Amino acid sequence: MKINNNKIYGYLLAIGTVMGANLAQADVSCGQNTGKAASGDAIKVGGIHGNAAPGDFSAATDAAAAYFNCVNANGGIHGRPIEYLVENDQWNPELAAQVASKLVEDEGVVAMVGNGSFVEMSVNAPQYARNNIMSMAGACAASECFESSNIVSTNQGPLASSIGAAMYAVEELGATNIACIGLAIPSVGNWSCGAVERYMTSKNLQGSSVLLNPTAPDVNSGLLEAVASGADSILINLPAGLAIAFLNSAQEQDFGDVYSWTSSTPLYDASVPGALDEYWTDKVFVNAELTTLDGQGPDNQNWLAVMDAFANPEDPRDTFSQSGYLSARFFVDTLQAMPADKIDDRNAVTAAIKDIKGYRSDLICGAYYVGEAKRHMPNHAGIMVVLKDDGFEKVRDCYEYESPYFAELIETEKSLKLR
Amino acid sequence: MKITRSGYAGIAFTLVVFLLLPAVANGQWVKVFTSAACFTLVTAGIAFMYSRLGMVSLGQVALMGVGGWVMLRMNHGFDFPFEINLAIAATVTMLFGWILALPALKMRGLYLALITLMAAGGIEVVLSTYRFPNGGSGFWGVLPSVAAPFRRPVIAESDSAYLQYVIVVVAIGFALIDLHRRAAPGRAWAMIRRSEAAALASGINVVYYKAWAFGLSGLLAGLGGALLAGSLGLLDSATFRASESIMLFALAVVGGSRYWLGAVIAGLLYRVLPALFNDWGWDADLTLVIFGVALLHAIITAPEGISGQIIALLSRKKRDTT
Repeated sequence: MKINNNKIYGYLLAIGTVMGANLAQADVSCGQNTGKAASGDAIKVGGIHGNAAPGDFSAATDAAAAYFNCVNANGGIHGRPIEYLVENDQWNPELAAQVASKLVEDEGVVAMVGNGSFVEMSVNAPQYARNNIMSMAGACAASECFESSNIVSTNQGPLASSIGAAMYAVEELGATNIACIGLAIPSVGNWSCGAVERYMTSKNLQGSSVLLNPTAPDVNSGLLEAVASGADSILINLPAGLAIAFLNSAQEQDFGDVYSWTSSTPLYDASVPGALDEYWTDKVFVNAELTTLDGQGPDNQNWLAVMDAFANPEDPRDTFSQSGYLSARFFVDTLQAMPADKIDDRNAVTAAIKDIKGYRSDLICGAYYVGEAKRHMPNHAGIMVVLKDDGFEKVRDCYEYESPYFAELIETEKSLKLR
Repeated sequence: MKITRSGYAGIAFTLVVFLLLPAVANGQWVKVFTSAACFTLVTAGIAFMYSRLGMVSLGQVALMGVGGWVMLRMNHGFDFPFEINLAIAATVTMLFGWILALPALKMRGLYLALITLMAAGGIEVVLSTYRFPNGGSGFWGVLPSVAAPFRRPVIAESDSAYLQYVIVVVAIGFALIDLHRRAAPGRAWAMIRRSEAAALASGINVVYYKAWAFGLSGLLAGLGGALLAGSLGLLDSATFRASESIMLFALAVVGGSRYWLGAVIAGLLYRVLPALFNDWGWDADLTLVIFGVALLHAIITAPEGISGQIIALLSRKKRDTT
C-alpha cells in the first residue's frame, strides 16, 4: 500500500493535535481528574446570559461551559456527563421568562449555573423560588440577584464593589465628598450609588449620586453634575464603555488631578488600559471583585488553563469569566459530594447547594457559602488595582468592605463559624 | 344580532386555541403565546383604526406601556382583585388615548402618524426614566430591590390558566370592536373614512367619533399592557419603545387590517417567530428582514395582507366547489 506525503502530513498533524490537546489538558484539574470521558445519561444544568445591546454578559456561561467540558473529559460527576444548556435573554424580560421556563419546566435542569444578566434575575427570581431550584450565578449586576432566596453569585455586583472603591477613596486618597456616577436603573445604579451615599454618611462624610439615563447616557452633563455637587472624589460605577467615555470627557476638562478617581469592577478589563490615554496612569483606582486576572494562585491558574484547553479562543478572560468558572467548580464539587442516586433530584440538589459552607478558592478573598436565607452575597471582600500604561497593578490586597448593608451577612457568617 | 361567517370562524378559532394551546404548549411556549395574545389585542386596535378610519397611530405600544404601568401601580398600591385593576388600567389608558387624540385629531395622514410617534417617544422617555412600579413607595412606586409579588386572577394563577384567561379577554376585545362596527360609531366611521366633508354635512361630529376610535384603541392597548404585566409580574421600558409601535403597525398591515385574523397573524409574527428563531439557535433579529420583505409584499401585491389572501383563497375554493 502506497501512502502519499499528504497522508503522512495528515497523520502527523492529527497525532500532534491529540498530543497537544493532551498536554494542554494535563495542566488542568477538573472534577474527578480521571482523564477518561464521562458516559451515561447526562445531568442537565441550565444557564442564562444577556448578550445584546447594551453589553455582552456571556463570559460567565462561557467559562462555566469550559469547566463542564473539562469535567466531562475527566470522569464527569459520578461517571456521568453534564449537559449544559445555555440561553440568551437578549436583555428582554419576556424572553428571559420564556427561556427560564424552557430550562426549568421543560428541560427539567437540576440547577442554573453561571447566569449573567441585568434582566434575567429580576424576572425569574420568583420562578426559581417557586420551582425550588438554585441559581449559582456568575455575573450579577442587579439587586435582585443578591436579595433573592434562590440565587447566589460568586461575583459581588455593583453595590459591594462600589463600596469597596469608596472605602479606598476615603482611606487612601483622602476623599471627603464622593460623587457616584451610575445608571438610572433602580436595582443597579440607584441601589449601588445609594449604598455609597449611606457608607459616606456612616463615616460623617458626604456622598451624592449622579445617575445617567441608560437609554441616552450623557457623560458630559453627568460630569458637570458631579462637579456641581462639590465632590472632591469621583467614583465611576458604569459599564466599561461608558466609563471610558466619562474619563475621556474628564480628560478634556483636565480634571485628572482636580479629583481623586475610583471605579467599581467593570473598568477592570484588559482592554481598558489600551482604550484610555496614559494621562490616566496612576490616577484611576479600580476595585476588583475577584483576584487579579494574572493571579498566581492554583485556582486562578487552573481557570486560565481550563479556558485555554476547553473554551473558544475568543471567549473573554475577565472577572465574569473567573466567577463563572468558580460557580461551576463549586457546583461540581457539591454534586460530587452527593450520593450518585440523588444528583437528578432537583430538591436534593437545591438542598445540597443551600448546605454549602466554607468553600475556599484563591479567586475570592473570603469563604463561599449559601445557607437558607432571603439574600446571599458570600463575596464581599476584594482588592484594589491602579491603572498603568499597559495594564493594572495591585495596590491593596484582600480587604473586607464596611457598610450597614453587610451586617446581616456578617451575622450569618458568624453563625456558620466562617469568621 | 346576526353572527357573520367571520364571527363564527372567530368563535371557533377562540375555542380551539382556548382548549388546545394550553394542552399542547410546554412552559416556554405558553409564555410565548401569552405575549403574542397580548400584542394581538393591541394590534386589533391599530388595525381597526386604520381599516375603519384610515388613521395611522404609531403610539399604540407606548399606550400599552401606560396600561402596564397603571396595572403594576394598582397591584402594588392596593389590594383590589385583578379584574378591578385590569378595568382601571384599561380605562386610564383609554382616557390617556383621548387626551392624546384631542390635539392630534385636527391632523390626518402622515402628520397624525408623526404626532402619535412623537407621543410614543415622550412616553418612552418617561417610562425609561421613572421605570415601572415594583412595590416601592411614592407615586412612582419603584423599589431598588426585588419586586413585590404580583397577584394574578384567582381563577388563573398558573401559566396555562392565565393563557386561557388572556385568550378570553382578547376574544372580548374583538367582540367589542365588532359591536362598535355594527352600531352608530361604525356607521359614522365608515362615512368619515369615505369623506370627512360629507360626514360633516350629514351632521356627524367628526372629532367626537375620531376621539371615540382613539379611546377604544387606547382601551385595547391598556388591556394588552395590563395582561402582559400579569404574565411577567414586572415590565421593562425596552418592551415599549417607540420603534416597537412602528413595527407593530407594519405587522398589522402585513397581517391585514380588515380582518380579525390579520391581528392574530401580526401577534404571532411579532412574538412567536422571534421565539422560534431563538429556539432554533438563529439570530432573532433575522425576523426583521422577514418582516421587511413581508411589508413590501403586502404593499405591492396584497393590500389586504396575509389574512386577505387567505380569505380570498377560501372564497375562491368555495366558489369553485359550488
